[in-house]
Amino acid sequence: MTAASADLAFLGARQLAVLVRERQVSPVEITRLYLDRIERFDRALRAYITVLPDAALEKARRAEAAVMRGAEIGPLHGVPYAVKDQFETAGVRTTCGSRLMERHVAAEDATTVSRLDAAGGILLGKLNLTEFALGGTQQFPFGQPRNPWNPEHDPGGSSSGSGIAVAAALCGASLGEDTGGSVRSPASFCGVVGLRPTWSRVSRHGSFPLSWSMDTPGPLGRTVEDTAWLLQAIAGHDPKDPLSSREPVPDYAQHLAEGVRGLRVGMIRELTLAPETDVEVREAVVAAARRLEGLGAVVEEVSLRLTPLAGAIFMALADSDGAGVHARWLRTRAAEYDEGTRRRLLTASLIPAALHQRAVRARALVRAEMCEALARHDLLLCPTAHQAAPPIAAARGAITGRHEVAGRFFTRRSYVTPAALAGLPAIAVPCGFTRSGLPIGLQLIGRHFEEATVLRAAYAYEQQSESRRRRPPGLE
Amino acid sequence: MSDLTTEQVSALAAALGLPVTSDDVTEVTHRLNALIEALAPLTELPLETVEPIPGLGGLPDS
Repeated sequence: MTAASADLAFLGARQLAVLVRERQVSPVEITRLYLDRIERFDRALRAYITVLPDAALEKARRAEAAVMRGAEIGPLHGVPYAVKDQFETAGVRTTCGSRLMERHVAAEDATTVSRLDAAGGILLGKLNLTEFALGGTQQFPFGQPRNPWNPEHDPGGSSSGSGIAVAAALCGASLGEDTGGSVRSPASFCGVVGLRPTWSRVSRHGSFPLSWSMDTPGPLGRTVEDTAWLLQAIAGHDPKDPLSSREPVPDYAQHLAEGVRGLRVGMIRELTLAPETDVEVREAVVAAARRLEGLGAVVEEVSLRLTPLAGAIFMALADSDGAGVHARWLRTRAAEYDEGTRRRLLTASLIPAALHQRAVRARALVRAEMCEALARHDLLLCPTAHQAAPPIAAARGAITGRHEVAGRFFTRRSYVTPAALAGLPAIAVPCGFTRSGLPIGLQLIGRHFEEATVLRAAYAYEQQSESRRRRPPGLE
Repeated sequence: MSDLTTEQVSALAAALGLPVTSDDVTEVTHRLNALIEALAPLTELPLETVEPIPGLGGLPDS
């Protein structure tokens, strides 16, 4: 594989689509390139659960023929992409990262998959995840996913493979699902861009559920522009998801380059400056805020005192929903779950109703606090995670005390769950590296249905950032 | 609130028909106690007057 072919693989979805449209590169060539890279690198990284070489090459050949005859083509025509193995695909197994579903084959595509297909995308395969998108998996049945920047470190989750595959250029872009950070966390840990859209902006039809009021599909890409184009393809009402919004879908790419001059940005004090936030992360995020200020935004600190509680509130709610989804299998097939998943779902099954009700009401307060801050600011800013990707070994083994639970589960979730609890759009964009070479993620949160503003600010920051030019070592 | 014991958690699980094994019960107990402790500060919030809505911005007809 030449340096030139690696350069092509790392271009990202939108640039690849432009090259295909201009006949500078063939969809067959790009698809072969990614399949070769999967063969070469994914034995170690384990981004993929299922690879679809024959179907992908067949669609690539049809895509190439369409270009050559001058047919009308979609915005992602000829771009190889991959989806978290939580999204159903007709005739191809959807495992949810679990032995319980290793032989599950759906009859139809998830709406998001059919929309990416209609936009011209070429499905390369299905991506690894923590079991049932829960997090805390101890033994991954389809291989331990590894961070491309350091294989001993966690790639983030639950959309682990979606982050790895984009970071390692094993696809042009990917689709994840974000209930409480599952797109933004792997994006942050793997050094790519990940967008959680407003809840209901994207259809959940055909995506295995965790929590009905927080689940949302979301794109991951090498650039902000890539995520904008993927969101464009998947957003909008779907009759198959009665909770999907009828709010009109704007042109997300149209205003990307309009800059941040005059935008009011609130830096969340309780998360950015918290003692739990690693010093290198804090410095990088504060520097990013200053960079936005230099670009013309008005940045000021805001205090959102409920945000440190968001992780625990989220787990009381989302895990309870998950326990409901898994109620039957927990009683009949408990031994087939991964130990970490089973223990988390059993715990959720035992949450007292009074505590759950308290969490439901506290969620309304978190939402109100976030929305009030967003009435005064166009965006909120904080780290995506309190630290860069931790070692995989740090989350291994049985929990031996309740104080360990807070460290493993609640603290880190408090950075990503405020947006989830409030149903707000949020993006993770790379904003530097630790001294040990691990990516750091900046998070920008916007008002309901104002993804265009979130994308515009992230794009403005990204254009000034050196982070996007770095590639994981050893993956040329 | 005092910590739940493994015996109490086992009894609660049995009452709900949940198969919490002896291998699982210690960790499940730690997790449940941690969650109860983490949510204890919520008792200081004025929750009685809060409408328990999911807090969504995109519900149809909302």
